[in-house]
Amino acid sequence: METVLFILFGAIAVCGAIMVVTRKHPMASALYLILTLFAVAALFVLRQAHFLAAIQVIIYAGAVVVLFIFVIMLINVPEDRLPVERATTMRVLGVLAAGFFILESAVLARRFWMPIGPVAEVGTVEAVGRALFTDYLLAFEITSVLLLAAVIGAIALAKRKI
Amino acid sequence: MLVEYATVLVFIVLGAVTVALMLGLQRWFAPSAPSAVKLSTYECGEVPYGSSWVQFNIRFYVVALIFIIFDVEVALLYPWAVVFQRLGFLAFIEAFIFIVILLAGLAYLWKEGDLEWVRTLQDTPAKKGAK
Amino acid sequence: MFLGNLASLRYFLPEFAVTATILLLVVLHVVTKSPRSTASGFLSLLGVGAAIFLAGVAPAGAGRSIFEGMVAHDGFAVFFKVLTALATLVVIFMSMDSRDLAGRSQAEYYIFLLSTLLGMFLLSSATDIVMLYLALELVSIPSYLLAGYLKGQERSTEAAMKYVVYGATASGVMIYGFSILFGLTGSTQVAEIGRSLAAGKATLPMLLASVMVAVGFGYKIAAVPFHMWSPDVYEGAPTPATAFFSVGPKAAGFAVLVRFYYTVFAAADPGTGLWRLTSAVDWPFLFAALSALTMTVGNLVAVKQSNVKRLLAYSSIAHAGYMLMGFVLLSSAGIEAILFYLVVYLFMNLGAFYVVVLVSNATRGEEISDFTGLGSRAPFAAVALSIFLFALTGIPPFSGFIGKVYLFAEVIHRGVYWLAVVAALNSVVSLYYYTRIVRAMFFEEPKDASAIPVPAVSGALLVLLVAPTLILGVYWEPVARIAADSVRMLAF
Repeated sequence: METVLFILFGAIAVCGAIMVVTRKHPMASALYLILTLFAVAALFVLRQAHFLAAIQVIIYAGAVVVLFIFVIMLINVPEDRLPVERATTMRVLGVLAAGFFILESAVLARRFWMPIGPVAEVGTVEAVGRALFTDYLLAFEITSVLLLAAVIGAIALAKRKI
Repeated sequence: MLVEYATVLVFIVLGAVTVALMLGLQRWFAPSAPSAVKLSTYECGEVPYGSSWVQFNIRFYVVALIFIIFDVEVALLYPWAVVFQRLGFLAFIEAFIFIVILLAGLAYLWKEGDLEWVRTLQDTPAKKGAK
Repeated sequence: MFLGNLASLRYFLPEFAVTATILLLVVLHVVTKSPRSTASGFLSLLGVGAAIFLAGVAPAGAGRSIFEGMVAHDGFAVFFKVLTALATLVVIFMSMDSRDLAGRSQAEYYIFLLSTLLGMFLLSSATDIVMLYLALELVSIPSYLLAGYLKGQERSTEAAMKYVVYGATASGVMIYGFSILFGLTGSTQVAEIGRSLAAGKATLPMLLASVMVAVGFGYKIAAVPFHMWSPDVYEGAPTPATAFFSVGPKAAGFAVLVRFYYTVFAAADPGTGLWRLTSAVDWPFLFAALSALTMTVGNLVAVKQSNVKRLLAYSSIAHAGYMLMGFVLLSSAGIEAILFYLVVYLFMNLGAFYVVVLVSNATRGEEISDFTGLGSRAPFAAVALSIFLFALTGIPPFSGFIGKVYLFAEVIHRGVYWLAVVAALNSVVSLYYYTRIVRAMFFEEPKDASAIPVPAVSGALLVLLVAPTLILGVYWEPVARIAADSVRMLAF
């Protein structure tokens, strides 16, 4: 059952990702991105990483893509003036490099094949919570300073004049 | 644990089936005779004008940015709520410090006037400072 | 072995001072009516001063792994905390003096500066990859904002944009490397990762991970080929921020580079002060090549620059190359040489940038042509800049020479002659472009010969920067001793 679901959601994620990079209109790409992110969240659930799955949905599918969409709406390029993608040298090289990388990963995966062990209970919300508030407490608190700097930076840069 | 997510799966499947069924059935049954008036956008019965693609105000972007940051804050507090009873008062202090530091950010954006949606040019703090 | 969270608090006072100052700056900004007043500058000075005092003058007993192994409180971390805080202190003075920033809201600038400082504190002491990554982001994100602070100036916005794109890519590659390391070892503790890797033999994933992590660190110290962002960022950012980037984050980058590679891939031999590689990843060779490449590219491109800020940017790339020489030697003396060089570099580089601030306040430009005739227009600043430039070249009797002697001596002692030859040739090249500025200042006729006023406070600060550059050239033992004492890293 798990294998079936893995293949199903994996396929959805990969197809969504391909659609993201091949759509002409950026809005369509952004919507397919949501699909991909949801499918990845499902994969996280299958590996018992519940907290990660929740974060994936709340922050990535929820907030980050919303930001993407606002930027697309803000820039608002009319359909007939969307840039036409051409197969430039860089793009061809990029595709070649990506292909090479996939090939390499496949070889690596075969070479260092490890059976998937029993899923450890490290990704549940409770386990993450316990780690976050004991061993990784400092990291948690420092995150608040980072977020503070980010919020002030976001507002300051959006102002007409600092 | 995984079984609890079966509900979610059933929900997703039902949702997908419902949408597919509705779109499929109406395409199958409904007669199709498109005309120019029928294909135009429905705007409460008015004759539509202009494109529906309007440029958004940059303030939506600022709001979205601030939303992301506080969203991350909430997401980090989510495991805290789960383990709170076990860790007790210390966890309370820990989350308190976290929230206080971020409150400083909230105070900043309040002062900068980003919480007010309706504002005129004269009201912005930049202008106030210049006077 | 690790100190718990509550017990660690008393070893974390410098960080508290900086965080408290950040919060006070926000509060000050919220309650004050005039965002352009210098109050926030003075508040930051106080905060950073307190941090230096708590970190260096009155340090709580060093040699502990605190916060459940998140960060180390050791001599190495204390050294870098004092160094980066000192750089920040000088930069705050420079910023209060700079005309670029005068008409703008002040509090945000100092909030970003101090957040970066907090990040550098943590970066130099992090012993856990989660903490390490977070610290790196805490250094990077406010830095992007500092680079783009001159809103409305195209150059500054371009700088911020490039910085973000390169920074995000580098940190993405790095965290991918971290995730591979975590997958191989199952631990986020740097020392634990080292122990796990030492047991096995070199595998491709391990090599891949160590190279990917090197990309992230290489980006922070602006080593070639990860340096492309730095000239544009250095040119577009406000000059005080440029001075800050070229010293602070670079020093912190070296701290984390040394700590990470020496704890993960090497082990100290307490008797000889030498280190041996515990895992089969041959990173010294990789970094030796990077070092030679970095100094050569930095120096050769600097020759062609006509903008002084850009020239100093390339020269700071070259200096990162010199300092990498000490990193590849697998000896405590090599690390000592880096630490010593960083102290010397702090004063001479900040000094050079400070004169650039003073000159561009008056001339509104940073081209070499803006510096012509500075010898008669502002003799004191011109002499000071010449001293800094000669020190950067590494000419005796200035401090830069001693710094280079330490680096070269160790390289030759370890028998890496080719690297010493490359570095020596590079120093000759650097002499050419540094003296070009000096020649413009003293031997070329200015278009506008009016005197450039140097306020008394600026003059005093300049003296404070010149003095160590001169004194460390003749009497350097105390600093060298401090550097030697600071090499002891925790390897928990």
